[in-house]
Amino acid sequence: MEFPATLFPSSFSTGPPREERGPAPAAGWGELGQVLETSPGCHQVRPPCLGQSVREHRRDQARATLTSYLLSLQAEMMFMPHRGGTGESWEPANAAAVPFLPPSATCWVPSLVPQDILYHSFLRRKLPVSNRVPAVDFTKQLSHFFVDHPEDAFGSLGQLLHKNFHLGDSGVEVGASRNNTIRMTGLMEEINRLDARRGCPDEYLASRLRWFSHLSRDWLFEVPLGLLADCVHEELLLQWAGLLFDDGSTGGALAWLPTEDAGACTGCLVYPGGQGMNHLYFQDVVLEEQPRTRGSCAEFELNGRIRQVAAAQSDGENFVGVRSDYHCGVWRVPGRTGAAPIPLQVIRTSVPASCLTVSPHLSGELAICTQSGSTYLWNVETGLQRLRHDPQTMFFRDHSPWRWCDFTAHPRVLSCADRTGLQCLDARAPRRCHFDLFKVGEEASCQQGERVVLPMYLGKAHPSQHLVTTQFSIYVVDERLPLVPVLKWLHMMKSPPLFAHLTPGDPGRSHKLLLGASRTQEMLLLQYQGERWGGQSACHLVGSPQKLHTIAGCLEHLPTQLPHHHCLLQQHLGTPAAGLAAMLQKDGRQESLLVFQLSEAGDVFCQRLTHEVAKPHVPTSGEEAMAAPGSSPLFEDPASSPHEAAVLRYHRWLKAVSKCCGEPPWHSCPPTRSQRRLFTRKELQTLAGPSALHQQARQRLHQAMQEGGRIQHWDLPDNQSCVILQPPEPVEGPDTLTARLAAAWSGDWSQWWEERTSFNRAKRQRALRERRRRQKQARGHRSLSASFTSSLTYQSELSELSDSGLPQLSPVLPQEGSPLRGSPPPSLVPDEALLSSQSLRSRGIPKERRKTLQDYLGVWAEGPPEPPELPSSQASQLCIPSSQSQLSSVSQTRRKRPRMGF
Amino acid sequence: SHEHKLNFGKSKEMCLNFIQDAMLQKQWKRAAEFLTFYAEALEKDFSREYMGPSEIIWRIGTEILCHHSDSSMKEFNSFIEQMKTLGVKRYLKVCLEHSFHLLCNGLIHEAYQSLSLAESWRFGEQRALQDKEIKLIQAYKGLLDYYSWSKQKNILLEHGQDGLEDLSVEQEMHSYFRKAAVNLKEIIKTPGVWDIFVKCYVDLLEFYGDDEEARQVLSEYAYNSKFPANPNAHVYLYQFLKRHGESKKSLISALKILHDLVPSHELMIDFNTMLHKSKKRKKRRLGLEVIFAVLDYVGWKENVKAWSCLARQVKQIVISEKHLDWIKQEWNSRKDWWPPFHFSLYLAKKNWQENESLSYEKALVSGIILGKDCKYFRYVSHQGCKAKVKRFRILKKFVNKHSPVHLRVSG
Repeated sequence: MEFPATLFPSSFSTGPPREERGPAPAAGWGELGQVLETSPGCHQVRPPCLGQSVREHRRDQARATLTSYLLSLQAEMMFMPHRGGTGESWEPANAAAVPFLPPSATCWVPSLVPQDILYHSFLRRKLPVSNRVPAVDFTKQLSHFFVDHPEDAFGSLGQLLHKNFHLGDSGVEVGASRNNTIRMTGLMEEINRLDARRGCPDEYLASRLRWFSHLSRDWLFEVPLGLLADCVHEELLLQWAGLLFDDGSTGGALAWLPTEDAGACTGCLVYPGGQGMNHLYFQDVVLEEQPRTRGSCAEFELNGRIRQVAAAQSDGENFVGVRSDYHCGVWRVPGRTGAAPIPLQVIRTSVPASCLTVSPHLSGELAICTQSGSTYLWNVETGLQRLRHDPQTMFFRDHSPWRWCDFTAHPRVLSCADRTGLQCLDARAPRRCHFDLFKVGEEASCQQGERVVLPMYLGKAHPSQHLVTTQFSIYVVDERLPLVPVLKWLHMMKSPPLFAHLTPGDPGRSHKLLLGASRTQEMLLLQYQGERWGGQSACHLVGSPQKLHTIAGCLEHLPTQLPHHHCLLQQHLGTPAAGLAAMLQKDGRQESLLVFQLSEAGDVFCQRLTHEVAKPHVPTSGEEAMAAPGSSPLFEDPASSPHEAAVLRYHRWLKAVSKCCGEPPWHSCPPTRSQRRLFTRKELQTLAGPSALHQQARQRLHQAMQEGGRIQHWDLPDNQSCVILQPPEPVEGPDTLTARLAAAWSGDWSQWWEERTSFNRAKRQRALRERRRRQKQARGHRSLSASFTSSLTYQSELSELSDSGLPQLSPVLPQEGSPLRGSPPPSLVPDEALLSSQSLRSRGIPKERRKTLQDYLGVWAEGPPEPPELPSSQASQLCIPSSQSQLSSVSQTRRKRPRMGF
Repeated sequence: SHEHKLNFGKSKEMCLNFIQDAMLQKQWKRAAEFLTFYAEALEKDFSREYMGPSEIIWRIGTEILCHHSDSSMKEFNSFIEQMKTLGVKRYLKVCLEHSFHLLCNGLIHEAYQSLSLAESWRFGEQRALQDKEIKLIQAYKGLLDYYSWSKQKNILLEHGQDGLEDLSVEQEMHSYFRKAAVNLKEIIKTPGVWDIFVKCYVDLLEFYGDDEEARQVLSEYAYNSKFPANPNAHVYLYQFLKRHGESKKSLISALKILHDLVPSHELMIDFNTMLHKSKKRKKRRLGLEVIFAVLDYVGWKENVKAWSCLARQVKQIVISEKHLDWIKQEWNSRKDWWPPFHFSLYLAKKNWQENESLSYEKALVSGIILGKDCKYFRYVSHQGCKAKVKRFRILKKFVNKHSPVHLRVSG
């Protein structure tokens, strides 16, 4: 283990961090940090693009200052920068991450979002919003509890008193019970009315209610209200803290186990799954053109949510450690292909464990930390050995109970970490032998408020190096030179990197370091160099950091979805990441890095980065175009759509998602304010069921489908079917209904009507040609605004997709001038037929209200068109509140009410 | 108005996100286009954040120009010149970074000029506030002076042999020496990792025969507790002592300190050989300790040289039958983890396949300490005998002969 002969210069001082910066957006760019002379024999690290111009420059200069001795120096001296040397180019092989496994078969429970627990109503604007004291809506949570679990909330007193409360409309019967019974009807009515008045700013509590609550507060509840509220509030704050930063998944719950078999491109992927993420799967994977699973996976059901899966190989066998909150387990997986995993041992902790690492040196050895501040060395054969117990943090006081430990170059020395730094201690004499490895302070020129987020032993690349990530920076520290990081870089990630993966490079090549964040799913690929053997070069960062595809990023490459599907998918794909794994696949000169990413919803997506080994890297403009795809619809080009195989995978995955998750529970959405003005609650309720109008419309659509097959039917339960209309191929005369609906969808409905009345076929054809030309043109024009409006015009695009064999995955750009914008206001002529007095009467709407409704709709017919931003489904909802209320409710995402574990 | 400010801030932030996105995907052209829009942010800089738009533009612009396929050094230089005028608070930082870029592109002369210009910069209090940078600027300038000096020195040495006397060259060389020495001396006074500066300064001093000063500089660098525990500082001191033919004792004491700091350092092999040759028992005892400690580390796990050192010493002790307790003491703290760490059957197979002499040395050690029933020894000696390699047969005999030793050592 050679130590680099010269290190990059850096100044050193001690004490708490002085710099006060906070997250800075571009802090990681542009700096070389320091330079160090390299002998000319060493590989040269020089920014490539400037190379040519430098040579020219040098020639010019040579003429000018021939006498200078400095000049002759230039030929033999090379300097290498601490950051920003030339790295390898790894290009994404695909435009987006591809689903690797089918979605988990059980229903996915959406994770908590801030809206669930924060107070958001008209009041929010008045309340000061600050990060430290969030306005947590705990009354909502309490009311959920009272409504959903009345037995638990008021059970015993409810049973005692139910004879003494009369809730019916009629008067209290005369009899023996009369003296003991109170009529509560008025109170009930008032409660009901309260519900209707919710959201009204001048809401006041009826005095009777107030009296009642005053009277009953002390005895009515099973759990004293104050205590319950305290607990709920505390829990809410905890949940909120978890939303801000959840360190439970530190380390990541995805692991790749390589096999020993030479030549076989196989391995095993270990990941959690199931509704509670409490099933552990070992899946054999074959790496070919596309990685694919082989055989069935081994499954273990655990009794806790799996937080972390750690793996290491020693003596040709893989050891997998699994951490859930109160249990840690270890499995052994022999290095052969297809070998079954063997569970070895489980331990239970009384305090949640925060870390589990597997020793890369000795088989069956692991290290555990718990939130109480204890660190244990766990040997499968000899059991647990407590190395340290200290509820306090190491270097300064920090409230976080998070602890971490990892192995070092010496198998008996462990590095222990908390938010303030890292310390190494010898397991043979943990109290006596220890030294500080990293400290949040001036030693590493940290910033104020900086905290350790994830330490990792980089033993695979260099036996004595460790990675330390904080919310601002990454550091590489060397055990042999403690406290002074040999590398520091501000990573600029939006949320702190909780996962990291190292792919060591061969001698002379760079080590690839992957950082992953949880909440934002960001992944960053860094390269650094620091020779393990023989090389004298100090550790330095090479190449520029590279962003990898996120799971959520594939959304724009999926076929266009119905709005509510889109929202569901968005939610599903946007769940925080839960782990990452990567493996290097060598295939002759071509190398590729396969990166797997796991989300909290149990999805495993994978992507491939490729690198040509032998060819020296010369960036060209063509290459830049190659690297560009998939970035944004702004710069769309044909190369940006995923490969066919990927498209197939997307399809299969989407199908599986809709199959196993099914539709969200069907609820009609609460009536809008205007609807409430027009109808009573009763009327609105009756309208929710399928009506004659519904039947009629559906019949017509069915018919159209039989005739032309132009209506796309989405596999929904029958009575909830929701259809999308598409503009037909204009060449063969379509049936009138389809054509009309198509025109209506694309916005130029009135034109269609005109054409229909004039029967000017030639004119129509010309107009159609014109429209196609415009569409093509619009596709040619790429503007920034276009990318933002694309989501609003999904329906009109569906047509283009349906008839081509394979669905097109790149998002189609909207036509120039969004259809809703350019056309004259849609007239209500056809709708009048649907909403004639007759049809309204058939739906049980009383006469006087029918008039109001027609007046109301008249306003829409006369008035200016709806602002173009309004999605068409919403616009139609305003016109036909009755029949469309279902549609609109679908388009709104239904979230389960958070129950906070009640 | 306030709202205008907010909107402006928002769009600025969005633009920055776009740039960041493009850069992280290596779309330098796209990033450059966005950056031209972002430059607008300079006009209405309302931010009170730590990093203002001017710094952001400097950082991002530099990065883009380094990677953009159409950029040239000329453009880069003019961009940096503009950036220098944009903020006095980081003027020196920008200058320093500029010189680094020039150095990395081989433009040593330009870098030197840029450093000299920066050094002479005065701007009220600002210069004093950027003390850290000014020190580095001076140090790097000193470093470049040193390189010029050593170039001149080489020329003089070559020409000197020809008997030519070139006074002017010599004078120039001395002036380079003075300039370099002043600046280098300054930076190594402040605590830090200054490997390259220290090396150069010591070289200067040694050339002019100021060994005493050089020694002081090196021991200050190694032993001053305000400096970080840099193994290289000790290495430089050791090398200096060795160059000047210092006594074994002082060499050993220098390496002993390095051993305490970094037991896994590569010089420990030299240290071990040095100690092994010593006549004093205590030192030989230390030698064994050193080599055992080296092999504790993963990085040495497959190092033949280290294993052969250990094997040789263990063998010697066994043959002489003296000091078996040394091995026993060393083994005591390792007996529970060295067998799986070094002597597992898996490793026996692997070592035998990959490196025969490594497996030989390890088999010797394991055979002596763990006895002839040790898996590692059994496998390797069996394979060795099967392959009819002579030394393995001798090894087997040796271990069989000394089999009682393992009971005394590990018992």
